[in-house]
Amino acid sequence: MKKIISLTVNGVSHEVAVEPRRTLLELIREDLGLTGTKKGCGIGDCGTCTVLLDGVATFSCLTLAIQADGCTVETVESLAENGQLNRLQQAFVDQGAIQCGYCTPGMLMTTTELLRRNPHPEESEIRRAISGNLCRCTGYQKIVEAIQTATEDSDE
Amino acid sequence: MLLPRFDVLVPETIDDACAMLADYADDGVRILAGGTDLLVDLRRPIIPQHVPRCDGCPTHPEGQIATTIECEPSKSDPLMSPEGSIRTKLADPKSAAPAFLVSLHKIDQLKGIELLPSGGLRIGALTTISEIERSSEIRKDWTALAHGADSLGSPLVRNRGTLGGNIANARPAADTVIPTIALGGKLTLQSSSDTRTVAAGDFPTGPGLSVLKPGEIVTDIHLPTPSPHSGSAYYKMANRKALEISTVGVAVWMVLEKPGGPIKDVRVALGAVGPTPILAKSVGKVLIGKVPTDEILVQAAKAAAGDARPIDDHRGSAWYRVQMVEQLTLRLLKSVLSGIENDR
Ligand SMILES: Cc1cc2nc3c(=O)[nH]c(=O)nc-3n(C[C@H](O)[C@H](O)[C@H](O)COP(=O)(O)OP(=O)(O)OC[C@H]3O[C@@H](n4cnc5c(N)ncnc54)[C@H](O)[C@@H]3O)c2cc1C
Ligand code: FES
Ligand code: FES
Repeated sequence: MKKIISLTVNGVSHEVAVEPRRTLLELIREDLGLTGTKKGCGIGDCGTCTVLLDGVATFSCLTLAIQADGCTVETVESLAENGQLNRLQQAFVDQGAIQCGYCTPGMLMTTTELLRRNPHPEESEIRRAISGNLCRCTGYQKIVEAIQTATEDSDE
Repeated sequence: MLLPRFDVLVPETIDDACAMLADYADDGVRILAGGTDLLVDLRRPIIPQHVPRCDGCPTHPEGQIATTIECEPSKSDPLMSPEGSIRTKLADPKSAAPAFLVSLHKIDQLKGIELLPSGGLRIGALTTISEIERSSEIRKDWTALAHGADSLGSPLVRNRGTLGGNIANARPAADTVIPTIALGGKLTLQSSSDTRTVAAGDFPTGPGLSVLKPGEIVTDIHLPTPSPHSGSAYYKMANRKALEISTVGVAVWMVLEKPGGPIKDVRVALGAVGPTPILAKSVGKVLIGKVPTDEILVQAAKAAAGDARPIDDHRGSAWYRVQMVEQLTLRLLKSVLSGIENDR
């Protein structure tokens, strides 16, 4: 039997009826139509499904929608400001940190959490923070450089 | 792939959760914390090599994958080791395909890290691995547990996974369990009829198996007051720094009578070298009462290696694991000792 939950996604409150077994990922993509968040492995290994749940980077594939009842969710769609890519997103584009782009939504959300907690991370802290987000294309170097660029900019 | 069908119950108190576990026991009910083990296990039936096969039943012919509740998995399937956790659980239809999950996420009583007036520490079972990793109290006085949290999975796994889940899942390599055992942790288990305390080392009984009875919840983990001149550390040896299960994990806790020794008490716990985490009891016999010298530490490390009961698998051979237990134990004994000396 479906259950009614309420949650705020990217600033918009929703009340939705979900099957108990529905994951937060399925809710976001299929019920709310926010397809920026991707599904990869479905078992916590790749991180491409990462969203912020009450500000915490969370794999949405292993989180039940019911567990997000009453919570605030931020997805990659929330990052752009007034239709413009935000500093972090622009840095990913500029530094060539995106190839196929499949890991990008998760990388951006994980990094968003990191930078809120620690606006000037060391390289080692960046590498550790993204160690649950797999990228099969870039070899990570460009991603690390993009994140560094984004944090340097914020010094100005 | 969708998860199998189940209903989710959301209690707000421990008592309500216990009542639900008792009420729905006959239908098949599992506890859901962070879900990083449970939801993976519940999804697993599509991965053929992980799945019990049918002996031949009305639903599936011989050898087909047992995907549904009504199937009896084959006893002859080599993947169905008699003590094997996931497999045994999958073999128990109520556990493999529970009708109900009791999700603990709204129970505030199960959350938080709290210094007790006695000086000990209480960690609620629902505390995430990330919260443990970031706790300055734990890093200072129960260091081995902070090391365990640092090394578990990835940041995303740590943000979701809980200490209670890592313990209840009862894997021999569980990265927060090995330190909890070395630190002399105690677990509180509560059901609708009883509350009891179990030493962390007595909790696991086999891979995925424990003394937890149906209907019981791990509510909190208690770590004893740190003694003067004591210290601890954990080292996870694995092929990668993230998203890897350990080949060998060693946790050491030690107390000196005074700086320079003699050793008053010591506990060494070993991960991934037996069907459960192992408390290497021989180490105490070598070290307690002795002034720590290089020679005696080497002897103690050999004793720890003698207590390991590893198997060969894709992460390492039994022989290699025994060697690594010896090396890591020696290294950790030395680093804990120098930590205690530098602290004074
Ligand atoms: C990608 C990935 C990597 C991982 N890497 C590691 C690793 O490196 N090291 C490691 O040790 N583990 C690892 N794990 C396993 C897992 O993350 C941990 O065991 C975690 O601590 C489990 O906690 P949870 O809250 O998610 O448990 P859940 O999945 O919610 O529950 C696990 C089991 O414990 C039971 N349970 C949970 N809480 C309680 C409670 N309070 N009382 C009674 N029973 C309870 C559940 O019913 C279930 O059987 C990994 C998992 C994933 C997905
Ligand atoms: S899809 Fe969620 S971690 Fe891979
Ligand atoms: S850009 Fe292709 S996976 Fe990262």
